[in-house]
Amino acid sequence: MQMDENTPLAISVENVSKKFRLGTFGEHHRLTEAISDGFKALLSGNFKTLTGDTREFWALENISFKVLKGEVVGIIGHNGAGKSTLLKILSRIVTPTKGRIGVRGRIGSLLEVGTGFHPELTGRENIYLNGAILGMKRSEIRNRFDQIVEFAEVGQFLDTPVKRYSNGMIVRLGFSVAAHMEPDVLIIDEVLSVGDQSFQDRCMGKATELGNQGRAILVVSHNLAAISNICCRALLMDHGSIVLDGPPKQVIEHYLKGMQVDTGKVVWEPATAPASSQIRLHSIGVRNVHSLTSNNQVDIDQPIAIEIEYEVLCEGAINTVQLHLKDENGVFVLSSANAPSMNLAIDQTYGKPLPLGFYRAECVLPANFLNDSRYVLNLFLGPEIGKPTIQCHNVLAFRVLDTGAMRKEYLGSWYGPAIRPRLAWSTCSIR
Amino acid sequence: MDACREIVYFGQPDPMGLKQLKEAWNSRELLLSFFQRDLLIRYRQVLIGVLWVLIQPTLGTLIFLLLFYFMGANRNPHLNTREIWHDASVILVGMLLWQLVNNSLRDATGSLVNHQHVITKIYFPRMLLPLASLLCALFDLAVGGILLFPVSAWLGQSFHWATSWAALLAIVWLVVFCFGAILWLSSLNAQYRDIGYVLPFVMQLGMFLSPVVYGLERIENSLSRFWQVIYCANPVASCIGLARWGVLGSPMPPVLGLMLAAIITFLLVASGLVWFQRSNQWMADRI
Repeated sequence: MQMDENTPLAISVENVSKKFRLGTFGEHHRLTEAISDGFKALLSGNFKTLTGDTREFWALENISFKVLKGEVVGIIGHNGAGKSTLLKILSRIVTPTKGRIGVRGRIGSLLEVGTGFHPELTGRENIYLNGAILGMKRSEIRNRFDQIVEFAEVGQFLDTPVKRYSNGMIVRLGFSVAAHMEPDVLIIDEVLSVGDQSFQDRCMGKATELGNQGRAILVVSHNLAAISNICCRALLMDHGSIVLDGPPKQVIEHYLKGMQVDTGKVVWEPATAPASSQIRLHSIGVRNVHSLTSNNQVDIDQPIAIEIEYEVLCEGAINTVQLHLKDENGVFVLSSANAPSMNLAIDQTYGKPLPLGFYRAECVLPANFLNDSRYVLNLFLGPEIGKPTIQCHNVLAFRVLDTGAMRKEYLGSWYGPAIRPRLAWSTCSIR
Repeated sequence: MDACREIVYFGQPDPMGLKQLKEAWNSRELLLSFFQRDLLIRYRQVLIGVLWVLIQPTLGTLIFLLLFYFMGANRNPHLNTREIWHDASVILVGMLLWQLVNNSLRDATGSLVNHQHVITKIYFPRMLLPLASLLCALFDLAVGGILLFPVSAWLGQSFHWATSWAALLAIVWLVVFCFGAILWLSSLNAQYRDIGYVLPFVMQLGMFLSPVVYGLERIENSLSRFWQVIYCANPVASCIGLARWGVLGSPMPPVLGLMLAAIITFLLVASGLVWFQRSNQWMADRI
């Protein structure tokens, strides 16, 4: 669709800021606590404790931009840059602390696929329910019902409860309903990254089609390739502000350049370290197993050690450590934890109450396993795996350097795969 | 087409909370979807299905009827079947209306919390969730009122046509009262889960403070005029009294009590609307 100065506005975001209080509300979930805190404040004369302490942070700071009708705008940025908060404000889920937002026409927001699906209801019933939640009228759903079913490829399971569906089917059905809602403004959060490749391609196609029909689309994704394919404009966010606004190619380049700040080790000051009530992170570093110092460039043909040092603040705390590894395309490569059944070695501290003091957890990735790429680590600590109390995203980045150990026979590019492990191959004559 | 549609800004001022009513009305189809879903789920994988709606008030009435007689609460030692049916009708009216209050408050209080994954992912008038619970409770009342009450009233030969409009008025009034109450309860529970824990006890107390299993006559006999008015200031007590007066010719609640109850209902709904509108702004952050 052609854009000029006469193209009407679709979205207008004006000086929007959003403040969150850290922790305070998690701790105030019970009325009795609020009351007892109120009494404490009365007695001590210190009302600051009532209105929340100083632990506030601005998830968004003074954001302004406009989107024209027919524009497909991508939003990129690190985790925690404020992208999701922005989408939530645009979808009216969250109210901004300051500023205002205006939209022309009907908004459809897709922050999650299949919101409101009920497992006990059949596919057919869920299409109507989910459609209604997304803001479609019954008559609209009825008219598009066949298209929705066809796009989702669930025809023969229409009268089966959704609880018996596979994950893939649920995702397909959810996206399909949303894709047929035909809003004037569509807001999508990272949902294009679900489903198998062919389904993803169809989703991309659908998004482009909606843009061509003159709808404004805002999409958040870590899939930079997708952003540059379907968007005509991109916004780069960092620490709650918009840093760059322009053609996707330019913005993505800038973003990737900013990612190159690699350090082989991160050491935190106690005051600012990620911490829970029981554990405080001290440092995380990466090195080749045989080298003594951390290095953000490690050799591919040697095992790679990731060291996490933390302090136990509370006698008898129980702690587990979990790592996520992503490659430079944002592909989730692996997840690993120190639980016994996931561990090649033995971790004596696992599940045991720990005395006060400093601890170092070390995870060794095998040699000739990762590709020559840049990897980013997410770190999770907590009393139980899957329920982390400390989460650090993109905490450390390192580059794996190709030393040629696996290139005696082939000198071309290994570009593409997330890992390139050395595996056992053998061939024998069978006839 | 575009010229006629202007940019609309979110969060237009709504000090009385009335715009949210209009918004909810505009999404009435979603309300029906939630209502339909709640009904479907309730009777999925249930053998006798909708019969449960009848069994609950029937058994409840039976239990309290027996209690009634064993406690020597009847005035007449020579009971005939007609009188027993009349007493059953009196209790049934109380049970059905109480069920409306109890079920709607119980289900609506948890409704926002139970849907927090939806509330934090998409926007729709959140008022629809507690309203759907209210509709479900109203459905129970409708089934019981249409299938059970006529039977017992006919067998008791005590149905009063002329004043039966009062029962409808009482139901509408009670729905309005429940609406005000669930606006408060559901949004408070979203922030303080204690509401959900305390509610069952309050409801139990409320059942005995309202003429559910006994008639207003007992109050007339045991309370002074002043306390009768105070007793009927409870909208539930007034409504049940009014409904019984309408269809069964039981004594009418004191007019002063009815007026007090009406004022209380109005205040509850008005403040509920204002509060719910306020709480909407932090709902997704704090739920």
